[in-house]
Order: sequence, then C-alpha cells, then structure tokens
Amino acid sequence: MQPRKILVVDDSKLIHKMFEVLLRQFTLVHAHDGLEALQCLSNHADIDLILLDINMPRMSGLEFLKQVKGDTAFQDVPVVIISTEGKEEDTIRGLEAGAAAYIKKPFGNQELLEVIQRL
Amino acid sequence: MMQSPTPNELMGKLGITLERAQDLFAALTEESRSLSAAQGDSANAAGDSDASERDREELTVRLVEAEHQLGRLMNLYVATFQLHATLDPGEVQATIAEIAVDLLGAERFALLLRVEGTNECEVALSRGLEGDEDGYYASDKYRGGDPIVDASLQDGVLRMGPAEGSDIVAAVPLRVQDAIVGVLVLIKLFDHKTILRAEDRDLLDLLAAHAASALFAARVYSNTDRKLRTLESLVQLVRST
Repeated sequence: MQPRKILVVDDSKLIHKMFEVLLRQFTLVHAHDGLEALQCLSNHADIDLILLDINMPRMSGLEFLKQVKGDTAFQDVPVVIISTEGKEEDTIRGLEAGAAAYIKKPFGNQELLEVIQRL
Repeated sequence: MMQSPTPNELMGKLGITLERAQDLFAALTEESRSLSAAQGDSANAAGDSDASERDREELTVRLVEAEHQLGRLMNLYVATFQLHATLDPGEVQATIAEIAVDLLGAERFALLLRVEGTNECEVALSRGLEGDEDGYYASDKYRGGDPIVDASLQDGVLRMGPAEGSDIVAAVPLRVQDAIVGVLVLIKLFDHKTILRAEDRDLLDLLAAHAASALFAARVYSNTDRKLRTLESLVQLVRST
C-alpha cells in the first residue's frame, strides 16, 4: 500500500519546499526538529511514513528515531533517513536504529520516489 | 498596454508548469509500462522480439532523460522560489547555505561578500571552516591568495576547480547588476558526492544570477525597515512630550 500521509522532519526550509513539489500526491505534515516531530505524531496518529534528517537543533534525527521505535503506537511506521552524513558507519547506525532506508543528500528525485513506492 | 507579470506571478506560473510536467511524466511512465507489456505479448506471439526489445530500450532511455530534465527543473524552481521567498537577510543566507549543502553537496563552503567601499571580502557565511585558523578564510575575512577565487572576484566569471594553486571545487561570482559583490566558494564536496554534474552547473548559474540580488534586496528592506521604526519611535517620543 502506498503511504498517504508523510511526516517530513528536516531543519532545511529548502527540503520542505522540495518535498512539497515532489510529493504533492501525498499529504505532508512538516516538522523542523525531533521535538516538533514528536508533537506532530501525537496530533497525527495516521502518519504512514516518516522522512527524517539527522542533524537538527533541539533533538537529532537519531534521538527522535529511538523514541519512535520505543513507542508501540508508532514503532511500525517506516522511517526513511535522508541525510548529508554519507559514511558507511552512518548508514549502518541509522539502519540499526530502525530506519527502513537511508538516502544520502543530495538525492535524486527518482531515488526517493522508488524508496517510497517500495515501502 | 500589457503589464509585465510580477516575480510572484512568474513563480506561480512556473510552479503550475512544473506540476503539469510532473503529471505528463507520470502519465508517460504509465503509458510506457502498458506499452511494454503489450509489446511483450505481441512480440512473443509474432516471434519478433528483437524489434520490440529495441523499442522498449529506446523508450526507457527517453523516459530516464525526461525524468532527469524534470529533476533539474524542480531543483531550479525550488532554489529560486526559496531565494526570493523572504526579505530577511539571515533567511536568504540560510537558503544559500541549504542550496550549497542539500542540492550541490558541499561539505565545506564560504560565502564571501565585499565590504562596502573597500576591496576586502568578509566571510558572511561558511561551513566546515571551523579549524581554518591559518587558511584563506581565517578571522571571518578572506585574505586573498586563492587564484580561482581572486580571478572570479576580479572578472565575475564562474570558474570550476581544481587548478594550479587552488584545490577548490568552484567559485561562483555574485552579481548585482554589473557589480561583483562577492563569491560563493565551494571548497569541498561530500565524499559521497564525487563530482559536480551538468545539473549542478545550472544551479551554480542560478546562484550567480539570483543569490546576490535576493540578499541585497533583503538587506535594503531590512535597513529601510529599521530606519522607519527609528523614525516612528522618534515621532511617538515627540508627540508624548
């Protein structure tokens, strides 16, 4: 099943705008750091997918991911990390923390769409 | 007489065109899938699988090309939209940084702006230069000496590196009308982003044309707004006395 409602967590306004254009067939919920994203989850229980940056103020993506995976209400929601952290160990750390996929910035639009379709 | 569209109207039209292009691309992809399936069936039936395979391959190549062009357009649209979406100088600078990092893949960069009335350049914004105490960009000032950066500051030509005496990736001159007001220096790309591609060159050209004007428009607005507030405060003070 294709996700319908996607939570975008990134501190870059450019990335939010990019997703608005690229993913306009989906309903997007926007958050700019991990804390705001947790708040969004409590307000939107029907989130189908989370697109997550790592380096953000207040609460990092990995800390947010840890909290999501520890919450029985959201632990099954797939999380795609989209980050400039491109080392092999960063990818492993993200996947071990429970991410369903890891995409490196800058990313190709088709690459992201294919990952979303796959999930 | 016809009025020229405002920048906001133009961006709106561009956005709509981009949406149409996305729809067309999606329809084309779907059409191609159906066609491939139908061709596969008929080719098998007729035993002419070679011609069918060639058609399929050509179609796939064209689809990939169309997808590529669409991606380029989307990046350009989003970058332009964000650069002109605000009149806050800090936000414009943040957008320039986001374009450099998120779209171009710059791990280290410096935005150099000429100090008014001098030939010096300040480092208005940087990333990855925290330990650069003795380098070209120490103490938030560009010391001069990188041949590519110096040349771009001089003649306003966008240059790609590396070259003799310089390891930088690119120097993007920033122009407002005919004046060169600074340079965006891409010093190093992320390890997973090995080279700048053709579509990145489009973005560099866009930055050269739009970043400085967006930044200076925001600065002018900010200064005017500050002066206006000061005047308003003075008027209020005079009235209350």
